[in-house]
Amino acid sequence: MLGVQALGPVSSHRAAETEPTPIASTAMEPQPIDHARNGGDGAGGAARDAERDAWVTLLSVPGVGPVTFGELLAVFGSAGAVIEVASSPIGWALLREALAHHAASAVGERAEVRTARVAMPAVGWDLASRICDGIADGRRATERVRSLGLKVVTLEEPTYPARLRLVDLPPPILYVRGSVEAMAADHVVAIVGTRWPTDKGRLIAGWIASAVARAGAVVVSGLAVGIDGAAHAAVVAEGLSTVAVLGGGHAHLFPRAHERLAEAIAGSGGAVVSELLPDTSPSRGAFPRRNRLVSGMSDATIVVEAGRRSGALITAGWALEQGRECFLVPGPFDAPTSAGCHAFLRSFPGQARLVSGIPELLEDLELDGGASMRAAEPSPGEPRDPRRGEPGSSAIGAGRAAVLASLAPVERALAEMLVEGPASVDDLSRRTCLGAAAILSALTLLELRGLVAGAGGRYVPTGTLASWARSPSARLKRRE
Amino acid sequence: MVGGGPHLSPGEVTLANDGILFLDELPEFDRTTLESLRQPLEDGQVAIARVGRATVFPSRFQLIAAMNPCPCGFAASGDGRCRCQPGVVERYAGRISGPLRDRMDLWVHMPRVEPGEYVRSASPETSRVVADRIAEARLRQIKRSGVPNSRLSGRALRSACGLGPTEQAHAVELAELEGWSARGIERLLRVARTAADLAGCNRVEASHLDEAARFRGPSDRRVGFEAVG
Repeated sequence: MLGVQALGPVSSHRAAETEPTPIASTAMEPQPIDHARNGGDGAGGAARDAERDAWVTLLSVPGVGPVTFGELLAVFGSAGAVIEVASSPIGWALLREALAHHAASAVGERAEVRTARVAMPAVGWDLASRICDGIADGRRATERVRSLGLKVVTLEEPTYPARLRLVDLPPPILYVRGSVEAMAADHVVAIVGTRWPTDKGRLIAGWIASAVARAGAVVVSGLAVGIDGAAHAAVVAEGLSTVAVLGGGHAHLFPRAHERLAEAIAGSGGAVVSELLPDTSPSRGAFPRRNRLVSGMSDATIVVEAGRRSGALITAGWALEQGRECFLVPGPFDAPTSAGCHAFLRSFPGQARLVSGIPELLEDLELDGGASMRAAEPSPGEPRDPRRGEPGSSAIGAGRAAVLASLAPVERALAEMLVEGPASVDDLSRRTCLGAAAILSALTLLELRGLVAGAGGRYVPTGTLASWARSPSARLKRRE
Repeated sequence: MVGGGPHLSPGEVTLANDGILFLDELPEFDRTTLESLRQPLEDGQVAIARVGRATVFPSRFQLIAAMNPCPCGFAASGDGRCRCQPGVVERYAGRISGPLRDRMDLWVHMPRVEPGEYVRSASPETSRVVADRIAEARLRQIKRSGVPNSRLSGRALRSACGLGPTEQAHAVELAELEGWSARGIERLLRVARTAADLAGCNRVEASHLDEAARFRGPSDRRVGFEAVG
């Protein structure tokens, strides 16, 4: 199915969010930690920090992935204990011995998952000695993480994103730049798509992202150029939080063109997250793997535009695999930029769902538009209009009307046209039958008001004009 | 380009004196070649010094240049066909240095014309009509200042514009939006003066400033935070 490998049993139950993960259950009781803090507070905090450092150190050893790490934890109880054992002169022998015993005793409970592996110890000679060597200079990894100002969230901490815990083989550690809390929101929605979108696709991604964010959900995406970037940027423009999951380490932010966007995300209450050590450079294989985190963190994944072989479809596939919702935005019948969405919808009837409009999408996601309206217009003394609950009918619609009413006729006409989709001066001139000079000066005034921006000869709506309430589908809904 | 060689011969900038120098595919030119255009563009003459000899050639030309938005040419087509890697578009545009960009008065984006549109469109104005209008505007400029707008010095330009207080405030607002240098503001005024001349106005009004502001170059100011691929 579309390049998605099955990696074990599908967890198709969303209700069971409190169920412990395989790793956590074989490890230890989660400690009563209230907060992911890396500063440390008192004795308990220091111990927590030490264990967190031990996780980073152990996972920085080449060859130690989630599986090996889980086994080590199961045997030794904590990463700190593993390091203690490995630091002794005969560390590698002890490691190997203990794991061999564990493998033998675990035959019963794990046979169905890793039948092939039970016969041999998970930690071979090579790996055992590598762990011992790696730990000797393991300080370097923790120092590096600290010097970059990254926060570390381990699987055993309560701040670890609850949805991600339910994924098969969740990453043991997340390195976070920005706010850890952003990942723990009540509603999390992923918005992904092609790196080469059409103007309209970019606009739609922005509409969906701002609508979903205003309805109180955190938007997750992959920080790529194109749809991902448009979704992140729209949320940042609203001053709300969004989470970007990287395909490489933090020190190798990719694409570099989005460094400012990443900064804005971290600065506006969101988070930039990676499961990889900061110095890991992005590789071809890393992005499909990253995609499983994007969908795994989210209740639902929305694909805006995807070509036939787009990586966004891998994310959509993961979403279904992980038992999450998956929505696809349809495009013109023959558009190569939507062919992947259409193919996916056809491949998964009854599972993949169609986005037929933004209010409909919010409804399908069980998001309440009302809460966001209040956030958008905070006036505590004023009694709340019950009709505000209906998306597209209320304060935002009124805001748009007010903005448009304040414009001169020519500017208003241009603004209304650009809301439908980006256009060049020639397009606008033809559609309004106005001379270029009049259009150019009106565009400048719109730009001064922050309503329009020019990019490569085409003009796109920005700010309040770009928000979802102005989308044609929202307007259709209002007319009903 | 600027001239030189063993016989100290004039270059293209001098050959184009009192005419037009057209450089197609501007970013494909060598960086040093492009940078060497700065002095002739600014001074209208070019000084060349070789061993034991130095000379000055005139180089009062109108520079017209064309470039694609990216190596593949599809960036900004808006239909997802540009497959240039992130950053390539910016790097390609970045081959034209800031100082050189600053010296160009008019930047015009030419979006792709759809085939159907091209076949259908009835040309609303012929070049002859446009040429007449330009000649008229030029005559108006020479009558006013003795020289065309392009040769006006800073002070003469400001007095020729005759901006009122509201227009001045508006010009400042525009300059702040774009983060313009003094050279940028001068360019805005020069283009606005010309726009007013084309419209047959004696004074530069706010709408002319707005119109002039549209002809700006690919500035460093991005649309939001997002790289537009």
